[in-house]
Amino acid sequence: MKLGKKNKFNTWNGLTIIILVFFAVFIIFPLFLVLKKSMIDTQTGEFTFTYISKFFERKFYWVTLMNSFKVTVVSTFLSVAIGLPIAYLMRRVKVKGSKIIEILIIISYISPPFIGAYAWIQLLGRSGVITSFFNNTLGLEFEGIYGFSGIVLVLTLQSFPLIYIYISGALKNLDNSLNEAAESLGYSNIQRFFKIIIPLIIPTILASSLLVFMRVIADFGTPMLIGEGYRTIPVLIYTQFMSEVGGDDGFAAALCAIFIVVTLVLFLIQRMVARHYSYSMSALKPMITEKSTGMKNILSHGFVYLTVLLAILPQLVVIFTSFLKTEGGQVYTGGFSFDNYKNILFGKNLSVILNTYKMGLMAIIIIIVFGILIAYLTVRKRNVITSILDTISMFPFIIPGSVLGIAFLFAFSDKPLAWSGTAFIMVMSFAIRRMPYTIRSSTAIIGQISPSIEEAAISLGASETKTFVKVMVPMMMPGVMAGAIMSWITVISELSSSIILYTNNTQTLTVSVYTEVIRGNYGNASAYSTILTLTSIISLLVFFKLTGKKEVSV
Amino acid sequence: MSVAINIEDVVKRYGDQTVINGLSIDIKPGELFTLLGPSGCGKTTLLRMIIGFNSIEGGAIKIDDKVVNNIPISKRNMGMVFQNYAIFPHMNVKDNIGFGLKNKKLDKSEIESRIADILKVVQIEDFKNRMPDKLSGGQQQRVALARAIVIHPKVLLMDEPLSNLDAKLRIEMRNAIKNIQQQVGITTVYVTHDQEEALAISDRIAVMNKGIIQQVGKPKELYERPSNLFVSKFIGTSNVIKAKVERKSDDVYLQFSDGYTEQIRNISDRATNNATVLVSVRPHEFIISTDQDGIKGIVQNNMFLGVNTHYFVELEDGNKVEVIQDAEVAEIIPEGQSISLKVKTNRVNVFDVENEESLIEEGVANEVG
Ligand SMILES: Nc1ncnc2c1ncn2[C@@H]1O[C@H](COP(=O)(O)OP(=O)(O)OP(=O)(O)O)[C@@H](O)[C@H]1O
Ligand SMILES: [Mg+2]
Repeated sequence: MKLGKKNKFNTWNGLTIIILVFFAVFIIFPLFLVLKKSMIDTQTGEFTFTYISKFFERKFYWVTLMNSFKVTVVSTFLSVAIGLPIAYLMRRVKVKGSKIIEILIIISYISPPFIGAYAWIQLLGRSGVITSFFNNTLGLEFEGIYGFSGIVLVLTLQSFPLIYIYISGALKNLDNSLNEAAESLGYSNIQRFFKIIIPLIIPTILASSLLVFMRVIADFGTPMLIGEGYRTIPVLIYTQFMSEVGGDDGFAAALCAIFIVVTLVLFLIQRMVARHYSYSMSALKPMITEKSTGMKNILSHGFVYLTVLLAILPQLVVIFTSFLKTEGGQVYTGGFSFDNYKNILFGKNLSVILNTYKMGLMAIIIIIVFGILIAYLTVRKRNVITSILDTISMFPFIIPGSVLGIAFLFAFSDKPLAWSGTAFIMVMSFAIRRMPYTIRSSTAIIGQISPSIEEAAISLGASETKTFVKVMVPMMMPGVMAGAIMSWITVISELSSSIILYTNNTQTLTVSVYTEVIRGNYGNASAYSTILTLTSIISLLVFFKLTGKKEVSV
Repeated sequence: MSVAINIEDVVKRYGDQTVINGLSIDIKPGELFTLLGPSGCGKTTLLRMIIGFNSIEGGAIKIDDKVVNNIPISKRNMGMVFQNYAIFPHMNVKDNIGFGLKNKKLDKSEIESRIADILKVVQIEDFKNRMPDKLSGGQQQRVALARAIVIHPKVLLMDEPLSNLDAKLRIEMRNAIKNIQQQVGITTVYVTHDQEEALAISDRIAVMNKGIIQQVGKPKELYERPSNLFVSKFIGTSNVIKAKVERKSDDVYLQFSDGYTEQIRNISDRATNNATVLVSVRPHEFIISTDQDGIKGIVQNNMFLGVNTHYFVELEDGNKVEVIQDAEVAEIIPEGQSISLKVKTNRVNVFDVENEESLIEEGVANEVG
């Protein structure tokens, strides 16, 4: 509305300023400190490149960057190699139980990767169930799956669902008459897949692989648990920052800065790719799933079932072991019991569980309120400042969690903003990290609401505020909630910045799982982790039930 | 009770592009006034200036002699019906209609009774508890209309309200709108680019082109006596052919091709002897002649439509014209046949070849045999 320009100091301008200040304090300021510390000598206070060059001078350091790249490239490639055919098969072939399979895939996607790492250690680790079985029966000396292959296994199984969800969405919008046209021109099934389907979904494949790339490269928990000697950048950052002896802020900051540059470049590539290759497709006649027969049918089912089983296996293992009897929480003694649950619910401080819900809820409220406002401002009140908001609000996509954690400690340890160690700082880190999901889906839904709806309300005498509250917000809700559910689930499974920011009073479920695993207390870890998984699953099912949807916006 | 709208010399700029430059219209109380013009001519822009969604860069808009330029939209008390209806999808029919009323400080009972009345007027009582996605296009249209007029606005504005409906429903709804507007008696500004719809629905029409008003008048006036060539071509079908003015003592003749000449009585003095003029002939203003006198042409196509027959005739100079003949008059003329066309000069319109303005004098001997 053109009128908005005249009265400069309206509510919207006020909100824009508030959000800008919020971002300045919680994103720009901490990041600025990281950059500053990476280039200012801690002792002398002078400008220096020593921290940054230190990284590139010693192989011990820079090899972690190579490791990160190797792990990430291979996992991303494998994720596509698995996610793409599954998405295609599920759209093309009638697979029995496809509804459940879809939900299982989403569940395996939403669980924190490090839980997968620890579950796979229980199966294929040095003394894992499967390892022991083969070593004992076949007399092998398999050392267990650690290092590169362990990380790749865990992260691939955790990431292919993202590829699946994206490609499945793209295939839904692919008009089957294109397929039929090619068939009538004499192309076989396989030929059509490579000549028609793949080229049309290339943009989606690229976009989703880059998302996987970003997630995998920034993942901290998995390489920490299963990597053993194989160190990646997030592990290096964490250990450098946390190590009691050489805890060198300057060097840790330099690592963070280097890492941000890497993720920033990836992000820009992703933006470019997304803008460059995008066909707008809308299917008049979507692909239909057909019953297939014989070998093809068996192979399709086998492939889908096996992969999904592998993906969901960590969750099953964790739930199963949470009910096993243990000796001192460490050694399984056979038989079932609720001891682990008794232990964590009554033996220990219950606040770990309550903290997770309390802080998570506070974060999600902030996320929803800010998400709605930011999306509305950037779409409907576009100007220079709101465009800046738009850009800053996507920063968290490129800031790895461990970097954000360290940046927060840099920024909020001294007066006047001495918030470190408080629940407030945990809530803020959750809110900042997981807000983009909600902003993105809210922005998308505003794009679908015609501006004349708002004009209608205003022409009927409603004020701008009333129009927003009574008309826009209710209409935006489905989109907001689709993003908020992802924000919520990823908030409660957040590890990489919590592990840096938590104290005894603000310990969360994920942090507890992690610390119990590190202590070798698998019983408690499994019980915590089961509670976390159940929370996610129940949240997801409630969301499906309430919205009547079967999809989340990832 | 109804108000007049006076638009005086208004200017609209988008950046440095001037879309409307000094436009004036006076709309009378209670009339259904239509802005008609081709796409992009500025109809929506003008309508949105009246309600206040667009700023006004110059001139004034007055409602009952009060300048409204700087009154906020919510205080202008105008109802608007949008092209896409803009029904709130999360509210049922009743809540949609009641949305504007709840904003005013009215009694519950007053609100209820007003809603009940308007539901009756627009004939959607049966659907009052339905959600909008369970309504047909025409029903949604009625909700939008009811929602706009239930607040008793001073002015009702409609921007192409029928363009999302199919042809049949369009006709049904335009009659409904016309009836409801008359019943409520509210000053209405209606925007369309469909000339047939404009003719059918309006008390008066302003024909616009490129941000400029070409002519304002009753539908019949515009159709029969367009003031320039643009209006003549935009409203109804017009065949434009060239002719030469021939003045003999006091009489004026139009000389067409093939030596065919016909007297014309109501032409202006500005049409000087020997001047070339453009003659706009409606399809039924041709007479297919049986004798040799007339403009020669060959029937290329015939189309029997029951009430009448349409012919597409190629003239000897290569021009193609459309001719309509009442069906009962004669046999259908086969394609390929040569014919002569005479012109009913008492009805045709004549335009200056240079500025395309009309050369017809109103009120001069209209009735000729
Ligand atoms: N927000 C805007 N910014 C810049 N130019 C605009 C804007 N809105 C309209 N215009 C321009 O103003 C002119 C008139 O537009 P308007 O929408 O009023 O046309 P219209 O007569 O309603 O056409 P239609 O029949 O297609 O709806 C067009 O040239 C259009 O491109
Ligand atoms: Mg328009």
